[in-house]
Amino acid sequence: MLRDITLGQYYPVNSILHRLDPRTKLFGTLVFIVSLFVSSSWPAYAVATVFLFAVIRLSLVPVKFMVRGLKAIVFLLLISVAFNIFLTEGTVVFQIGFLKVTREGLRLAAFMGIRLIYLVLGSSVMTLTTTPNALTDGLEESLGFLNHIGVPVHEIAMMMSIALRFIPILIEETDKIMKAQMARGANFESGNLIEKAKAMVPLLVPLFISAFRRATDLAMAMEARCYHGGEGRTKMKPLQYGRADRIATVVLYVYFGIMLLLRINPLHVKL
Amino acid sequence: MGIIKASKLIFDYVTKDEEEHVEDVNRAIDDIDLDIKAGEFVAILGHNGSGKSTFAKTMNGILLPTEGTVWISGMKTTDDESLWDVRRTVGMVFQNPDNQIIGNVVEEDVGFGPENLGVPTEEIWKRVDESLRAVEMTAYRLKSPNRLSGGQKQRVAIAGVMAMKPKCIVLDEPTAMLDPNGRREVIKTITELNRKEHITVVLITHYMEEVINADRVIVMDDGKVVMDGTPRQVFSRVSDLKSYRLDVPQVTELAYELKCAGLNMPDGILSIDELMNNLLPALKNAGPFPGREHAAETAGEEKTENAGTPEKQDIVLKAEHLSYIYGQGTAFEQYALKDVNFEIPAGQFVGLIGHTGSGKSTLIQHLDGLIRATEGKIYYRGADIYAQDFDMRALRAKVGLVFQYPEHQLFEVDVLSDVCFGPKNLGLSKEEAEARAKEALSMVGLDESFYRQSPFELSGGQKRRVAIAGVLAMEPEVLILDEPTAGLDPRGRDEILDRVNTLHEEKHITVILVSHSMEDIAKYADRIMVMNSGEKVFDDTPKKIFSHYRELEKIGLSAPQITYIIQRLKENGIPADADITTVPEAKDELLKLLGKES
Repeated sequence: MLRDITLGQYYPVNSILHRLDPRTKLFGTLVFIVSLFVSSSWPAYAVATVFLFAVIRLSLVPVKFMVRGLKAIVFLLLISVAFNIFLTEGTVVFQIGFLKVTREGLRLAAFMGIRLIYLVLGSSVMTLTTTPNALTDGLEESLGFLNHIGVPVHEIAMMMSIALRFIPILIEETDKIMKAQMARGANFESGNLIEKAKAMVPLLVPLFISAFRRATDLAMAMEARCYHGGEGRTKMKPLQYGRADRIATVVLYVYFGIMLLLRINPLHVKL
Repeated sequence: MGIIKASKLIFDYVTKDEEEHVEDVNRAIDDIDLDIKAGEFVAILGHNGSGKSTFAKTMNGILLPTEGTVWISGMKTTDDESLWDVRRTVGMVFQNPDNQIIGNVVEEDVGFGPENLGVPTEEIWKRVDESLRAVEMTAYRLKSPNRLSGGQKQRVAIAGVMAMKPKCIVLDEPTAMLDPNGRREVIKTITELNRKEHITVVLITHYMEEVINADRVIVMDDGKVVMDGTPRQVFSRVSDLKSYRLDVPQVTELAYELKCAGLNMPDGILSIDELMNNLLPALKNAGPFPGREHAAETAGEEKTENAGTPEKQDIVLKAEHLSYIYGQGTAFEQYALKDVNFEIPAGQFVGLIGHTGSGKSTLIQHLDGLIRATEGKIYYRGADIYAQDFDMRALRAKVGLVFQYPEHQLFEVDVLSDVCFGPKNLGLSKEEAEARAKEALSMVGLDESFYRQSPFELSGGQKRRVAIAGVLAMEPEVLILDEPTAGLDPRGRDEILDRVNTLHEEKHITVILVSHSMEDIAKYADRIMVMNSGEKVFDDTPKKIFSHYRELEKIGLSAPQITYIIQRLKENGIPADADITTVPEAKDELLKLLGKES
């Protein structure tokens, strides 16, 4: 049923990764993504692979769940790989018509492909092990420093968490309005692009009106419960940075150090 | 001074144009003086648009008075410094259960208020535990609010307010969007909070049954307080209440009618027990009733037989072994419909009843081809609607389906164009579509002056009529209405149902009416189908169905109050006609038994 949709597809098991503070996981994801972009050699990617798969193992989320997230980027992946193969100058390996395939091109394409795939896998480790709520809390806390330059971090986090609550409701509502208009003979399926766009009006107008009505109601309900922004607010579930988080952070530093060393290569080892 | 005091309170809704010139002033509250004592259970009654919701919103500073003053525990709502104290003292629960829950998990939502007040974490947990226990929702604390029923959501909302430790809770039509079970849950919860925790309760509603247990009932009309007294005092003025677009419970109405017919009856009877105490001695004196017993029995049988034998009828809709499974092939697999069979002859008025989740909404969507059955067949005038060459859009024109809260589907710039949407989809020309739209609008009682108005500026009841006209304009043979009276006040409810009944009688439209209200269905339907857990459990004439009232109770439904009254008479040896289901019938029967035929 529609109401079962959860955004960010949290996978409910109890692993070490699930128990980590969301801030640690956000930091870890950031470190991992940066490490992918600093690495440019096969040994570096080998380290990243070992690290990623160790983390996936720890998360207790089945690998097939992770791989599902890749479907969305297949197209992007193919394009960027193709561009890198054909548009990089260098030693020609073989040539089809005007398309030259170079040694450097193949190498770059492979790196690019791996980067993209790991990027998606890495961030889905986070979304699969962290509830949307914890994620919003984590973002609010980690980005708190932006408050000083006038970014309303608390408000943005509150908006995200309200969006998470209302997305399933609005999806259900869309379904209902669609059926109601179909009962009045509306046709959402056939017709050309312009006709299809026109057919959306009877769906979108009521949907917007309903969203605004809900927003007004919700704002009133929040005010009635004394909501007045983040100031002076306490937390029912404050984030707790524990021993596991400290260990995880150290592991992350070590990992990042290795990746940096592999990039700078101070001993000029041939990689 | 009580906990809530209003003095010379006036509130105007002011519409301004773009240059801040006042375009229109609408006085919602007109000079109210009121004092509510701590610990009281006060019910505020009034029709849609009587100003009761506006009044509620002035009680915790969501709306500030245009003139006059509201004090909460001695604090003025207009004082900026005391605003948060006012809101902490008077908690508020709103009508729509979905639009007031903020948290993604039940317990987090309950904690939202205390978080805003800056309560320390440990204390928040304690308050959340206590509040959830008070509304009996502890078992659901880790659930997503989206998985709860309407009644449960409202209980969560009440817990959310309780966690702020208020002295008073104002509930603005908390039951308007709920089914009878949800309504009972909520009323029971607030009654207990009032009795056990001594919370002052202000309950705004237009369901009369809910106010019987209140200490005090206030009736509002046109922004003014027009009645203020105990439930008994207020309910003794039946005709006044009706003039305010309100209603009384069936038992009160029957007592009132009997009194008007010259019987010795005290004012404001509220329960069946009271009615019995006043009726039985007179009835026992009037008896014995020779020959009655037998006559009543046979008359009943004859009637049911007539209605029960389908002669060579013209069958419009037929369902055969209809089943629908949600989430087939997954772990959540569940029958929404299970082997449902029926035939509906042309011109019948069918009532479809069942609690939320019984499958009635799923069933009517099947009849309009909006959901495809997992198994089984549906025939429209003998044609299989799942056949390859069957025109589903033609079916939707012939079987008109009016969804719940149909006004939520309005989208056009004016009323006439909106009603034209259906006919235009049928491929009719602009002129033809407009002609049909005008006819449909006249059928729902909206004249020319409405044609060019924006549907969004109409009142709730008018919007609903426009939406129903939108379906009627397609000239359906069968009209299916899903809870067409939800959220309307008693008069609005009667107006819509009377219109539908007129259509049924004059245009011979077949009607399928989905409703929670047994009283409504008893008044109009020729036949009732009862759904429970996806199965059709009863399908018969109203009189026969209601005689199974004990089985109905088992599946969370009940018969009209009148059925219970007649039953009580029979238990006391009074041979009343068991077929009676409406107030006028009951009145005539009782007068006959008492030998006072009018």
